[in-house]
Amino acid sequence: MGTEGSQVQSLPGMQVHPLKKNLYEVAIGPAHPGSGHMRILVRVEGDVMVEVDPDIGFVHRTMEKLSEGRDWMKNIPLFERMAILDACNVTLPYVEAVEKLLDVDPPERAKYLRTLLCEINRVASHLYGFGIFGVFLGHSTLYMWAFGDREVFVELAERLTGARLTHTYPMFGGVRRDMPDDFGQHVRKAAAYMRRRLDEYAKIFLLNPNIRSRLEGVGVVSKSRAVELGLAGPNVRASGVRYDVRLAEPYEAYDRVDFEIPIYEEGDSLARAWQRVEEIKQSLSIMEQAVDWLEKHPREGFVHEKFWKTAPPIYKKVYAGEVPYAGKYRVKMIPLYASLKVPAGRSFARTESAHGEITYYVESDGKDVPYRVRLVSGSYRNVIAFKYVMPGHRLADLPAIYGSFDYFPPEWDR
Amino acid sequence: MVDMVTPYEIGHGILRYIIFYPPVYQFVIIPGLIAALVVAIFIIWFERKAAARVQMRYGPYEISPRTGGATQLIADLIRYSFQEIIVPRTVDAVIYFAAPVAAVILSLLPLDAMPLTTNPAFWPIPMDYSLLLAVALMTLSPIFVMAMAWASNNKFSVIGGVRESFIVTAYELVAVLSMLSVAAAMSTYNLVDIVQAQSSGLWFGLLDPLAFLTAFIATLMTTSGFPFEIPDSESEIVAGPYTEYTGLMYGLDMGAAYIKRWVFSVLMALIFLGGWAPYVPGPGFVLGYLVPSLIVSVKALVIMAIMSFLRAVYGRYRIDQALGIGWEILVPLALAAIGIGFAEAYFHVYAYMGVMALAS
Repeated sequence: MGTEGSQVQSLPGMQVHPLKKNLYEVAIGPAHPGSGHMRILVRVEGDVMVEVDPDIGFVHRTMEKLSEGRDWMKNIPLFERMAILDACNVTLPYVEAVEKLLDVDPPERAKYLRTLLCEINRVASHLYGFGIFGVFLGHSTLYMWAFGDREVFVELAERLTGARLTHTYPMFGGVRRDMPDDFGQHVRKAAAYMRRRLDEYAKIFLLNPNIRSRLEGVGVVSKSRAVELGLAGPNVRASGVRYDVRLAEPYEAYDRVDFEIPIYEEGDSLARAWQRVEEIKQSLSIMEQAVDWLEKHPREGFVHEKFWKTAPPIYKKVYAGEVPYAGKYRVKMIPLYASLKVPAGRSFARTESAHGEITYYVESDGKDVPYRVRLVSGSYRNVIAFKYVMPGHRLADLPAIYGSFDYFPPEWDR
Repeated sequence: MVDMVTPYEIGHGILRYIIFYPPVYQFVIIPGLIAALVVAIFIIWFERKAAARVQMRYGPYEISPRTGGATQLIADLIRYSFQEIIVPRTVDAVIYFAAPVAAVILSLLPLDAMPLTTNPAFWPIPMDYSLLLAVALMTLSPIFVMAMAWASNNKFSVIGGVRESFIVTAYELVAVLSMLSVAAAMSTYNLVDIVQAQSSGLWFGLLDPLAFLTAFIATLMTTSGFPFEIPDSESEIVAGPYTEYTGLMYGLDMGAAYIKRWVFSVLMALIFLGGWAPYVPGPGFVLGYLVPSLIVSVKALVIMAIMSFLRAVYGRYRIDQALGIGWEILVPLALAAIGIGFAEAYFHVYAYMGVMALAS
């Protein structure tokens, strides 16, 4: 339909794919009602998808190249833009890699603070994913609930860092500021609230017969298939693979907090949704442990001595609580960061972000800007599953599978 | 010599023979277009408010908070009516415009086959076969949704239109079967008799709940309500058959589906909820026509409200699942409902209620 009688123009760089008879091409995107900007080209035969082609590069923003022209510090806010809902997790490996080059190890307190924010981010990000999942399946109540409850964790992050989403919290050698006095009780309250809410989520969404029939047995990724495709994060764990960077190569304070890695064997969309529920529960427990530790230990050093000693004396008085400045302990950014030069070398770091493992390779030639930053994000590794998992399903399953992978377009294309 | 016609007589004539002429009155005022519009505003308000309560938010609140933002709906309506209507160059213009209008008119038409009182002076048509006629007229409008989809010349529209056609074939059958089970039980197609038989308070919805259930689900389905909002599923195919429509034309498209649901609700109120049942229509226009019609409308409104509340509970089914529910579960259930109807007729459940006396 449509092409009959009209001539196919050939433009430079344009590829023309002749379609078989009865094959219909549908473009999902570029502006999708349920998600950000992305494009998936789907060929359907009747109502069944026969070919699914996620258009990688469609919203590419040259982030790696941009980073080569910015100061070391200014790259943190840049990489945050990749997944602002998960800002701490996606920038942490960059900071860790640069720390390796600088040869500084952040103080214990900073490690716990980073762990705390990472888990707050993880919960908020999973809730965001649930909200989007709800929209995809036409379930407006889950959408509203998840986004409403995410606000709790966004506010927690704001109390800790001063910013709702783009925190720029981990800095080289530490974090940007210490936590307020009453933060612990807020975290415990939020955790208790969220545990109660998760049961209600299960009632209205995951145990709802309507939703279960949409998700059960849909988009099944077997264990070997998940490994073969190189999936990452909760999606690979929902297929029964026990792999988590927090477990495989503990960073920050993860080797000192007590948590489990939940595993589901089924590998279908429902298992991926339950996987996230269980991960939220673990994250809440980690948050509470981190806050307990932070409250028990004295406030000494949220940033490495190497940087702290260059701070003006007034900063030290503010941090000691002697001088109130915009509230207690709120130290400004240490000026040394602005003119930081990183010794030449190569380094590599990885963390477990909410969407999967994220890895950074950082190369420095001793200047005030990086020579090269290369990064691979969780969504980028997960998106390829669409090409192999979706064909054979009906077009209506596309949103169900898409949502269950909790896939985040701006993180896919950087 | 010709009698002089006074302005009073002209005015009276217009009122008596045009506006309050039952076929016109039922088509345009109650329970037709104007009542449907008022109900639409109320139901949308209710839907937003009830869903907001479930979803822990406020719902419309900005304009006149004291009424719960009810006037905001009117503002929305005005905005919709004055939006620019964009007509794509590739559409088949005649059908593109004619189909929504025809769909709205044909959706309203079954209302003229429904009695809202016992007084024959206020019946739009003779009521002997009114149930059959009402159910038959209801099956007319879906073809225009497919016409819209085809005339739009858009991939999403065509996919939506095909989905609509699948669903309509599966669910119109269920709706017709379950609504006709009342004819089996009471041995009549006359809606007035059917309502009168329920005047004891023993509603048909209580005697044959299976028929009520299947009719309810089939109505949800044919009017694409949750959890069967499949032909215009937003996250898959934009707005389905209505993708290329804008402004008032889009309003007509939505209105047709919505009016269809309203008409189904009115018919269900008559068949299953006893129509004007506890009330006995008195003499005159107000007591004999207006009051019973309002009672029927309120009952239909309750059905509509329950249907719109389901939006807050369910997501949407996949089309093959919905069709499976239709053909594998609901058709047998509807047949069983007819069986219950025949059994009731065999044991003369309604005989002692004076159906026979009224029919004779």
